[in-house]
Amino acid sequence: MSGVSLPKRLMVFALVALLALAPSVLLVQAAEEPIVIGVAVAQTSNVALFGQEQVIGAQIAEEFFNERGGINGRPFRLAFADTGGDEAGAINAFQTLINRENVVGILGPTLSQHAFAADPIADQAGVPVIAPSNTARGIPQIGRFIFRVSAPVSLVAPSAVKQALKMNPDIKRVAVFYAQNDAFSVSETGTFQQTVKDLGLELLDVQTFQTTDTDFTTQITNVLPLEPQLVIISGLAADSGNLVRQLRELGYKGMIVGGNGLNTTNIFPVCQALCDGILVAQAYSYQYDSEINNAFREIYKAKQGKEPPQFSAQAFTGIQVFVEALSRLDKRKPLKDMDLVTLRAELRDEIMNGKYDTPLGPISFVETTKDDGTPAGGEIVQERFYVAQIKMDPDGKTGRFVFLD
Amino acid sequence: MEGFLSTYGSAIVQMALAGVLALSLYLPLMAGQLSLASPGFYAVGGYVAALLSTRVFTGFPNGSYPILLIALEMVVAGGVSALFALIIGIPSLRLRGVYLALATIAFVEVLRVFALNQPWLGGAVGIYNIPQPFFSATRVEYLLLALPLLLVSTLFVARLERSRIGRAFVALREDELAASAMGIRPTYYKVLAFTIGAVLAGMTGALNAHILNTWNPRQGTFDLAILILAYVLVGGSRTFLGPVIGGAFLVALPEIILREVADAPGLHPAIATFLRDGRLILFGVLIAVSVFFFPYGLVTPNLFKRRRKTNVPRLEAAKAAPKVSRG
Repeated sequence: MSGVSLPKRLMVFALVALLALAPSVLLVQAAEEPIVIGVAVAQTSNVALFGQEQVIGAQIAEEFFNERGGINGRPFRLAFADTGGDEAGAINAFQTLINRENVVGILGPTLSQHAFAADPIADQAGVPVIAPSNTARGIPQIGRFIFRVSAPVSLVAPSAVKQALKMNPDIKRVAVFYAQNDAFSVSETGTFQQTVKDLGLELLDVQTFQTTDTDFTTQITNVLPLEPQLVIISGLAADSGNLVRQLRELGYKGMIVGGNGLNTTNIFPVCQALCDGILVAQAYSYQYDSEINNAFREIYKAKQGKEPPQFSAQAFTGIQVFVEALSRLDKRKPLKDMDLVTLRAELRDEIMNGKYDTPLGPISFVETTKDDGTPAGGEIVQERFYVAQIKMDPDGKTGRFVFLD
Repeated sequence: MEGFLSTYGSAIVQMALAGVLALSLYLPLMAGQLSLASPGFYAVGGYVAALLSTRVFTGFPNGSYPILLIALEMVVAGGVSALFALIIGIPSLRLRGVYLALATIAFVEVLRVFALNQPWLGGAVGIYNIPQPFFSATRVEYLLLALPLLLVSTLFVARLERSRIGRAFVALREDELAASAMGIRPTYYKVLAFTIGAVLAGMTGALNAHILNTWNPRQGTFDLAILILAYVLVGGSRTFLGPVIGGAFLVALPEIILREVADAPGLHPAIATFLRDGRLILFGVLIAVSVFFFPYGLVTPNLFKRRRKTNVPRLEAAKAAPKVSRG
């Protein structure tokens, strides 16, 4: 009987192909329904550069922790919703995740501004949110259900100054430069100046510039006669790079601490060999040696072919916090016995009370309060920060950030 | 239905607001002026509401901010926007066509940079924790405010189109020289159209500040100007219904329609994923296609004329009758 017609043969072929592909789908359905964790970050728009790194970090976490048994043997899955680049998009993404995907918690959004719009919605719905990259003041204070794993500037920045003191304990005289027209730089320099006072150093002078400036000779000639031993700069990449170059060209020999704007290789072409030695503080170092960070770094490098950036590490950390808190909760009170509303509320308390060994180092949360004294969300307590020093290659064209201990 | 409302509550409210914003750009366009200033007034309105509700009318616990105060903020925002519009409109409306568009883009940009550098406006982070009138996670209650705003402004523009002022706008659009020869003061009517548009945009901004719960310099930028222009061009720029429908449609398209289609049962996973992740690509393609096939927008005055066609021959016949009898 070889008379099977061609269409039928095709159908059989299609059936076989389907059966070959299907088991992965069928198996998941046969097992226990996975727990859903939402991820609402900017996958499109001009914020997507950060958002994409966060997606990668979260996906690595999904794979990594599911391989290690998920939540006490029960798998979890991530539901992604794109916030786009505006507040309305963030609100829509949160509402989709909460009402349609029935998530137990949400990782996101990418920008602090979006958090101020979308987080109140999750808070009112009683859904825990972990912010992977919101560093503005007032984020955990939005509501009881809001957490962040991204340390604010006010915590990260001082460690660079402390590192400078460690490298040269004789430093006493400090000068500060900042970009007056950049909101982030203005708030950062406030932290730096406070740190200088707290450490008992002498603040010689504060000079301002614009992010669009290219000539800084006036500011520099004002400062150099005061003989500073440490210069602290808060600005964006291009202006800060030029400022560093002109400082060195005009004869400054002391140490330089840069803010977050200098935390990029984009300054290398600007100050070239003169970039050498700048200290920058960060919330994450891929060189941090721990079991979990080494595992994360390895997977990331295998997938992306480069060292993991801070945004991916923080997103990974956010998912890790959810997974570990859910696992602990499950042992105390089985998750399957709880309805979604109770589960979300219990998860919130469990996140707050835990300690986590993450790629960022050991972290935990401290409960904050709103202005009126009512309890609010969890601020990160990060035990260590990382200071990198720029090392330029002899040709002055290429260089790298070297993390210091 | 309840699930639909709780999922898309905010998007539905934004549909209504997009209609009002589109009308605010449609008004100057009625008078033949391509002004991209609407986002600027929208931003001003938002800041007015944000400042008033967080600094002046304080002391209301969350979820119980009086709706009347929001209405008051909207009126103030409209007034401030009108003032701005007069100051900016009188000199800049001497410019025409692309030069006016450029001047209004500059205005939007100046406002953005100004807001970015003012500590009392919160700088880049902006003003947050704007009090909420409803204790709800869906935001759908805001339709109580957004729908009346849309209805009143649509009715207003509909009546305006049929009034003497509206006809003056259209006369200016069709031929400024001829219109001024007939005694229509171009500057007066242009500034009037520009100012009414500014009031609508300002009121929308004030309302949206509460809906978004936060306001910052990224609100009402050049991107929004292009989006509003798309609402008007896709909807139709020759009748008031065009912008309203265009705005609602273009907001619903990426946020509701494409998401719903992606979730339709039986769809191939690859297509569903593309619909979800590539919805902005589809959005762009659909705008391009609609402009290509409907160069005058989806809603044109002809749509209504065609329906009345059956009556027209009889009227014409009646008019023509005396002539025939005389001959």
